[in-house]
Amino acid sequence: MPGKTLVLAEHRAGKIKSISWEAIGFGQKLAERLNQELKVVLIGKAIGDLAEEVSRRCGQEVLTLVNDHCETYTPEAYCHILSQVAQQETPFLFLMGHTYQAIDFAPKLATRLGRGFIPNCVDCQIDADRVVFVRQVFNGKINLQVGLKGEPPYFVSLQQGAFNAYEVQSRQSPRVVNLTIPLPDEVLKRKVLEIFQAAQGKVDLSQAEIIIAGGRGLGSKEKFQLILDLAEALGAAVGASRPVTDGGWLPKEHQIGSSGQTVTPKLYIACGISGAIQHLVGMMNSSCIVAINKDPNAPIFSVADYGIVGDVFKVLPVLIELAKEIRK
Amino acid sequence: MKILVCLKQVPEKDSRYKIDDLATWIREDDLVFETNESDVYALEEALRLKEKLGGEVGVLSLGEERALKTIKSGLAMGADRAFHLSDPAFQGSDAFVVATAIARAISGQNFDIIFTGVQSEDMAFAQTGTILAQLLGWPHATIVMEVNVSEGGKKARVKRELESNLFEVVEISLPAVLTIQSGINQPRYATLKGIMQAKKKEIRRFSAQDLGLESSQLGKTGSMVDHQKMFFPEKKKKTVILEGTPEEAARTLMERLRKEAKVL
Ligand SMILES: Cc1cc2nc3c(=O)[nH]c(=O)nc-3n(C[C@H](O)[C@H](O)[C@H](O)COP(=O)(O)OP(=O)(O)OC[C@H]3O[C@@H](n4cnc5c(N)ncnc54)[C@H](O)[C@@H]3O)c2cc1C
Repeated sequence: MPGKTLVLAEHRAGKIKSISWEAIGFGQKLAERLNQELKVVLIGKAIGDLAEEVSRRCGQEVLTLVNDHCETYTPEAYCHILSQVAQQETPFLFLMGHTYQAIDFAPKLATRLGRGFIPNCVDCQIDADRVVFVRQVFNGKINLQVGLKGEPPYFVSLQQGAFNAYEVQSRQSPRVVNLTIPLPDEVLKRKVLEIFQAAQGKVDLSQAEIIIAGGRGLGSKEKFQLILDLAEALGAAVGASRPVTDGGWLPKEHQIGSSGQTVTPKLYIACGISGAIQHLVGMMNSSCIVAINKDPNAPIFSVADYGIVGDVFKVLPVLIELAKEIRK
Repeated sequence: MKILVCLKQVPEKDSRYKIDDLATWIREDDLVFETNESDVYALEEALRLKEKLGGEVGVLSLGEERALKTIKSGLAMGADRAFHLSDPAFQGSDAFVVATAIARAISGQNFDIIFTGVQSEDMAFAQTGTILAQLLGWPHATIVMEVNVSEGGKKARVKRELESNLFEVVEISLPAVLTIQSGINQPRYATLKGIMQAKKKEIRRFSAQDLGLESSQLGKTGSMVDHQKMFFPEKKKKTVILEGTPEEAARTLMERLRKEAKVL
C-alpha cells in the first residue's frame, strides 16, 4: 500500500504533547508496515525550532504551517489549512491524538472533505491490504472494530496511552518544509478572548502517597462520607471522578482525570468508579491500584492490581475499621 | 431565542451487556434506557437561556419507539415541542448519517442555537454536533462550560473546557452549534405539573422518507466509516480478585496491601 501517512502533532507552551508522540510512534510503525512515507504536520506561529526537534527525534520530514493567526487554535483556521494540506499531500491516513482539539476540529474537517473520522482508537490491525482500527464503546465495556471506507484520506485519532511513543534518533539533519496557506477573512471571524488556568485550589493530589477515590457508585454527598472516613483513617488524600464534582459532592479540585488532576500515588483505591478512559488517564500510572465495584465487568478492573467485586457500602465500613486498627 | 437540543437515548450506566448474534449491536431485551448524561445538561442550559431571554426550546431525538421516553422526559423538564426521527432504516448509522437526518429535519425552522451533549455514553463518537454544524454551515464550539448570549442574540460568548484545567473563552456568531459538557449546571427534575403539561405538547415525527433520505444514504451503507463488529475487550492486567464475604475480602485486601504490595 504505497502512499503517505500524515500525523498532526499538537503542542502547547513550546512542547509536543505526549499523546502526539504516541501518534507519531504509531504512524512510524504503520508507515513501515505499509511501506509508506510519514510526515509530521505542525501548525502554529513560532514553531521552527520545535519542528527541527521533532524531525531529529523521529527522523521524518516535518511540514510546518506557520501563520500569525495560528498562535491560538481555532477550528476554522485548522480546517482550512488541513483540508488544503490533505489535498496537496493526498495522504492515505491522517492521524492525530484524541485530544480536546481533535474532538473540536476533526469531525468538521473530515465532513468538509466528504470523509469519515474514526475517533479514539485503542488498537489497529495491519495486514498487507487491510487496516482496521479498534475503538471502545459503551464506556469501555465493549470494543468495536472499524474499517476504512470509501476513498482516502482516512481520519483517525488515537486514545491516550494506547500506543507506544517510538522514536529513532536521526543522524540526518532535520528536514522541515514550510507550506504557506493564507487564511481568508471568513475563517478569522471567531475571537478567542482568553485562555486561562482554573484557579489553583488548595488540593494538590500530585504529591499524595495514598489516594482514596470515590465515584458515582457512592450514590450521594451524604454517603460519600465513607470515602472521607477511609481517607482519614489511612492518612490519605481524597479523589473523585467527574460525576462527584459535577454533582457538587466535592469541590472540583478533587477531580482526577483528563479534565482534572493527574496522579501517581503508590496506592490508589477506586470505589464505585467505573473506569471511563477520561478517569483512567489521570490515575493509571499509580503504583498499586485497588478497585471496589459491584460490576465485575467494570473497566476499572482492567487497570487494577487488586479487586473486590462487591458493594462499597458493605466493604468500606470494614476497611475503615481495619484501617483504624492499623493506625493504633 | 429559538433553541434546539438533541437528546440521545442510551442504556443505563450500570448496564451489563450482551452482544447480539451479528456482533453489530448489543442485545436490548434486558436493558433499561435513559437520556445521555451530557444531553440532560444541554437541555437544562437551553431552558435557562429561554427563561432569561424568552423564546422556545425544541428537543429532538433520533431513535426507535423507545426514544419517546427520552423525548417525553425532555418535554416534562420544560421543552416546548419535539421532533422524533424514527425509521428502521436509521439502524447502524454513524454520526454523519445522524447529523444529516437532523439537518434535514430542522431545515427552515430558524433555530438560533443547537445544543448537543459532548458525546454519547454508548458510541462515544463525540462528533454528531460538529458534523451538524458543518452541514449547516454554522460555527460550533465543543465541550462548553458556560454560555452567554450577547449583542441581542447575534453572538455568544462561550467558555470551553480544555485539558489539564485550562479553559478558553471564545466569541462566535449565531446561529451556532454548541456541545455541552456535564457539570455546566445542575439539571432540574421534571415536576408533576411538567409531566402533565408534556402530554399536550407537539411531537413531530419524521421517517427517512419524510426527510428525503434514500436507503443508500442511511444505516451502514450511508455511513462514512465501516462498523464491522463488536467484541468484549481482553483484560490486559492480571487483577487479583479477592473473594469471600465483604468482611473477608476487606481483610484480605488489607493484608495484601501491607505484606505483598507493601503500600500501607
Ligand atoms: C471530555 C470529557 C472529559 C472528562 N473528564 C473526566 C475526568 O477528568 N475525570 C473523570 O472521572 N471523568 C471524566 N469524564 C467523564 C467520564 O467519561 C465518566 O462519565 C466518569 O468518569 C464516570 O464516573 P464514575 O465512574 O464515577 O460513574 P459511572 O460510570 O456511573 O460508574 C459508577 C460505578 O459505580 C459502580 N457502583 C454503583 N453502585 C455501587 C455499589 N453500591 N458498590 C460498588 N460499586 C457500585 C457501578 O458498577 C459503576 O461501575 C469526562 C468525560 C468527557 C466527555
